[in-house]
Amino acid sequence: MDEELISLEKVTKVYGGGTRALNEVTLSFEKDQWTTIMGPSGSGKTTLLNIIGCLDLPTSGIVRIAGKEVTGVGQAALTRLRRENVGLIFQQYHLVPYLTALENVMLAQYYHGSPDETKAVDALKNVGLEHRLDHPPAHLSGGEQQRVCIARALVNEPAILLADEPTGNLDQTNGNVVLQMIQRLHAEGRAIVLVTHNPDISELGDRTIRIVDGSVEQDFKSGGDRNGE
Amino acid sequence: MFVRLLRKSILRRKSRFAMGVASVLIGAAVVTALFTVSLGVGDQVGQEFTKYGADLMLQPQSNTIQIGLPGVSIGSVTEQKYINESDLWMIKTIQHKANVLGFAPFLYQVVTVGDGPNAQQAVLAGTYFNKTIQILQPASPQDPSVFSTGIEDISSWWKVTGNWITDQNDTTSAMVGSNVAQKLNLTVGDSFKVSYAGAQNGTTATTQNGTTATTQNGTTATNEKELKVAGIVESGGAEDNQIFVNLPVAQDLSSRPGKVDTVQVSALCVRCPVADMASEIQGKIPGVQGTTITQLTNAEMSTLDKYQSMMALVTAVALLASTMGIFTTMTANVTERRREIGLMKSIGAENRSIASLFLAEATLTGLIGGIGGFGVGIVLAQFIGLRVFSTTIPLRWEVLAVAIPIAIGVSLLASALPVRRATAVEPAIVLRGE
Ligand SMILES: Nc1ncnc2c1ncn2[C@@H]1O[C@H](COP(=O)(O)OP(=O)(O)O)[C@@H](O)[C@H]1O
Ligand SMILES: [Mg+2]
Repeated sequence: MDEELISLEKVTKVYGGGTRALNEVTLSFEKDQWTTIMGPSGSGKTTLLNIIGCLDLPTSGIVRIAGKEVTGVGQAALTRLRRENVGLIFQQYHLVPYLTALENVMLAQYYHGSPDETKAVDALKNVGLEHRLDHPPAHLSGGEQQRVCIARALVNEPAILLADEPTGNLDQTNGNVVLQMIQRLHAEGRAIVLVTHNPDISELGDRTIRIVDGSVEQDFKSGGDRNGE
Repeated sequence: MFVRLLRKSILRRKSRFAMGVASVLIGAAVVTALFTVSLGVGDQVGQEFTKYGADLMLQPQSNTIQIGLPGVSIGSVTEQKYINESDLWMIKTIQHKANVLGFAPFLYQVVTVGDGPNAQQAVLAGTYFNKTIQILQPASPQDPSVFSTGIEDISSWWKVTGNWITDQNDTTSAMVGSNVAQKLNLTVGDSFKVSYAGAQNGTTATTQNGTTATTQNGTTATNEKELKVAGIVESGGAEDNQIFVNLPVAQDLSSRPGKVDTVQVSALCVRCPVADMASEIQGKIPGVQGTTITQLTNAEMSTLDKYQSMMALVTAVALLASTMGIFTTMTANVTERRREIGLMKSIGAENRSIASLFLAEATLTGLIGGIGGFGVGIVLAQFIGLRVFSTTIPLRWEVLAVAIPIAIGVSLLASALPVRRATAVEPAIVLRGE
């Protein structure tokens, strides 16, 4: 049995408007595990990802990350937990437009408090962008931008990688490149939580969670894990 | 990384940054102009003060004589009362004695200049040019026992062709007003005769200093005096119609020894307590009434006050405009960069890092706007100086030390709210795809 990395206990999230986005969700995520989260639009997938990634706090319930309780810590502590443990991959890449690819990666190092240009260059090499270091995002294709985003997410070596529809804005070819990279990262032993609408992608992961109306409807082994049983 | 982030984020939005700088520049320019003009004009107004002559006029109590202020003609004399010349030293013993820049007594009389058909009437004024006065009882033992003063101290703006009278014992020289000189065709070095026909019979016995006295009609005496033009005075005021001589000459001519009509006192400060000084002198010297030259003082003050309150208003408006300009650009800046801020937070930026990025930009805006505004303000100050005060205003570098902190302060103040909004951006927005 793998070590428990993140655990949620009866986590409920109610937004300001009264929307109950998550309803007493209890889940745990293990090291090395690739979890795919699926479900209809508005079911609470992104909300769940925000809470796992320490981007937001639940209304009630307990969240633990690497054994430490997240709930009840202040905003500053939440920020620290996030930058120590979590790497984020976005559907819209979210690169800083006036910085080069390399600078975007180094920005994560800067906020992490560990600037190291060589390491940042290596991170971009790993995603095959060594020839694009000094390009601003506007001069990069969508696939390349997403790879910069992956390099940025990984440069501080987080234990867990969160991805919300990472291929949602990419064509088939570029989407596959990105997925292959995530597979490689998974193979290297990183926990991955990925939100997608695409059932094919869920086949790549170890486990699939289906959320409907803020509750876990299904939680089953998939892809490699299921086949390996 | 911070510097690079700051520089690149500014370069990316050059025009917006320039708008912020321009906003600060307006305020800084007005502040610079205000301070530069105030500093420059502060001195200058002090000078203008003395330019208008005395700050205080001493007259005999209940005297019906119309005082001969510069620019005001002298009226007729009815019942004559005088100030005693021998009391004048007391002016220098009042509590505000340090503020007494100088004073000059005046004894006026209408004289006939020249002879026959060419004779002209003129006002002859006896005064001090450069008189050493014994202070018989100094207010405290450390105070000096002598004080040198005279008309030169209170009429420094006079334009004199030739020379001032410098010897207090000189009984033959006169300084002639430019109008008188023109009418009588007098130039420096010329001699002329004055005669006074108003002296009371019997008082002529007191004449001294070579003044000759003749008796006419048995009741009035005509005193005559030969004078030499030492200098010609141009003041633009009543002085141009007068002839000035040492006080004893006038006293002899009209046989009024030791008497003085008025005393003009000049104070040495921009906002002197002239009213206090007046009442102090009144208390010291019996039979003397002290009047502040409030009209002129007020005119001066109100020019400066009007200017300053106008500038204060303009400054307030300009700084408000600056604040609003900065607030608007900073708010737009934060709004435009919401996603970027969320991203920075999501990858680990603390509120402090976000705030310092925007505050650094605000500081830079303030600094550049402040320096630019200082330059513009200097030009503005010259314009105001020439327009309002008809003078050039000297460059004052110390104003830079005021303008820049104000510019940066305004910039930071106006940015406070937008920066708070920046730090309040939730990192969760990056996943929501806003
Ligand atoms: N910041 C928010 N304020 C109010 N309601 C929100 C907010 N974010 C999400 N919601 C609501 O919560 C529910 C779940 O949203 P979300 O987690 O984004 O779903 P999904 O990612 O599965 O589409 C939706 O009804 C959505 O409208
Ligand atoms: Mg979503």
